[in-house]
Amino acid sequence: MLAARSRAASISRSRRVRYAEVIFGVVLLALPFIASDVFLIDRFGRYFTWAIFAISVDLIWGFGGVLTFGHAAFFGASGYLVAIFTERAGWFLPLPLWPAIGLAVLCVAMFAFLLSTLAFRGPYPMRGVELAVITLAVAYLLEQYARAGGQITGGQNGILFGERLELFGLDMHRGRGFYWLAGIALVVVYVLVRVFVNRRIGLVVRGIRENEDRVDLLGYDVPSIKIEVFTLSAALAAFGGAFFYVHEGIITPAAVGVAASTQVLLWVALGGRGTLLGPIIGTVVLQHLTATLSGTMLDTWIFVIGALLIVVVVVFPAGVLGFLDRGPAR
Amino acid sequence: MTAIVEVREVSKSFGGFMAVHDVSFDLSEGEVTGLVGSNGAGKTTLLNLLYGRLELSEGRISFDGSDISDLPAHQRVRRGLGMVFQHTTVFPELGVRENLRLGAMRKGRGTDASSPAEIDAMLEMIGLTAKQYDIASKLSHGEQQWLEIGMVLLTKPALLLLDEPTSGMTRSEAARMADLCRRLVTERTVRAVVVVEHNIDFIRRVSNRVLVMHRGTIIASGTIDEVQHDQAVRDAFLGRTV
Repeated sequence: MLAARSRAASISRSRRVRYAEVIFGVVLLALPFIASDVFLIDRFGRYFTWAIFAISVDLIWGFGGVLTFGHAAFFGASGYLVAIFTERAGWFLPLPLWPAIGLAVLCVAMFAFLLSTLAFRGPYPMRGVELAVITLAVAYLLEQYARAGGQITGGQNGILFGERLELFGLDMHRGRGFYWLAGIALVVVYVLVRVFVNRRIGLVVRGIRENEDRVDLLGYDVPSIKIEVFTLSAALAAFGGAFFYVHEGIITPAAVGVAASTQVLLWVALGGRGTLLGPIIGTVVLQHLTATLSGTMLDTWIFVIGALLIVVVVVFPAGVLGFLDRGPAR
Repeated sequence: MTAIVEVREVSKSFGGFMAVHDVSFDLSEGEVTGLVGSNGAGKTTLLNLLYGRLELSEGRISFDGSDISDLPAHQRVRRGLGMVFQHTTVFPELGVRENLRLGAMRKGRGTDASSPAEIDAMLEMIGLTAKQYDIASKLSHGEQQWLEIGMVLLTKPALLLLDEPTSGMTRSEAARMADLCRRLVTERTVRAVVVVEHNIDFIRRVSNRVLVMHRGTIIASGTIDEVQHDQAVRDAFLGRTV
């Protein structure tokens, strides 16, 4: 009887999240048909690429418990690599856009693999704040390099993209085309990560978040699992970053910096870490509010957003979706 | 009896402090070994050396004839060591059933696929069937201890190490724990058990053999009656005739 009641409560919680998933999906599907403002639709496409970034952070932080202050290094580095691969000449360059995106994601994943191997399997395996500081340092160094990188990175001015997002001859670079391209990319990433976390490996990753030592003492090779998740997370960030910066048409040093890395943490925390859908909602809602309010409340919008964030974090410490999923945070 | 574990001349020092000094003993198949001693005697350090949390300063530990002295903890677990702590180490925000799944599905010993029936049987054994969908942090301390034991047993350990398993348990729970320890060995669920415990009644109920530690060394070994009449034990702990 007790087991049945407890199971029913658990199912009811997951149903609430499922409803949120459906409602959010229907709204986003309907948006390009309802809205006539192409600029607004295009803006939602940008939110989707950011949401991919947020999912990548949710995977490593929300599920794996590894706090990173430098994930924009992967999101932005991918943009820089695509720009270099498509805009610079020499050796095998320039590359067409899509191979450049693939190669950029691969390079970022390899860099993340090396970084995480050093961090998790090095002579002094890192945890918690130590790793957060390392990722912070990587973002800071990359930003400084991007500013000083001259011919390669374009220095303070960055690099302008000449390529446009096209697929099977269709223009996906702006407006509805970009909305659908970014939307499909987001759905693919969402489903991929949802499948990953629902598999056995996902449970182990959540176990590492809860109690890394106990996972080790159940016989799992914790560093290997953390390296795998960190690399996957960086590759997803790179995937989102590639689309975002090609669409923007320019990449500048701020793309790989600390500010962009902390902004994504807000989206994830607001939506609910460890929920996948929460970070998407957090990104879309917060960025849309920022864009709308900054146009109407020229001097005060930042205070309104700040106050709203504080209220939401106080009322929903586990994030909005975390509240729906698990109830009030303990 | 066949020795599962051979501990030879093992020492562990922290700077100038020798926490475990020149300890040697065997753990045999079918035995429950009690490890007793006062606080600071080196019992927990010795357990930490056995499961690989601490590196040996000197000596060697063999498991089923293979030297495991340099293996990290997770590889020792894969060989068949299971460790249950005094302070529970369950996964607080995961469900009770998910905690058990993590134990059941671990890689390395042919138990990759966690069978629901196996988990149901374990829930029944540890008395948590009614709470299987609860979050682990909502359980009482005693229930969390049972959950941890269930999780570790699902890894199918050959050697089970228990650090003060009755800590925080009621008398009836301690009796149930003693019964479980005996059954695990007699029913050959595990091949041997080592229990660190201050509760001498519990040690008397479960142990075939007792190792007494004092100031980092083993000063006596035998049945509980034998060690209670051992002169070195009397000198170390009682200073009077038992």
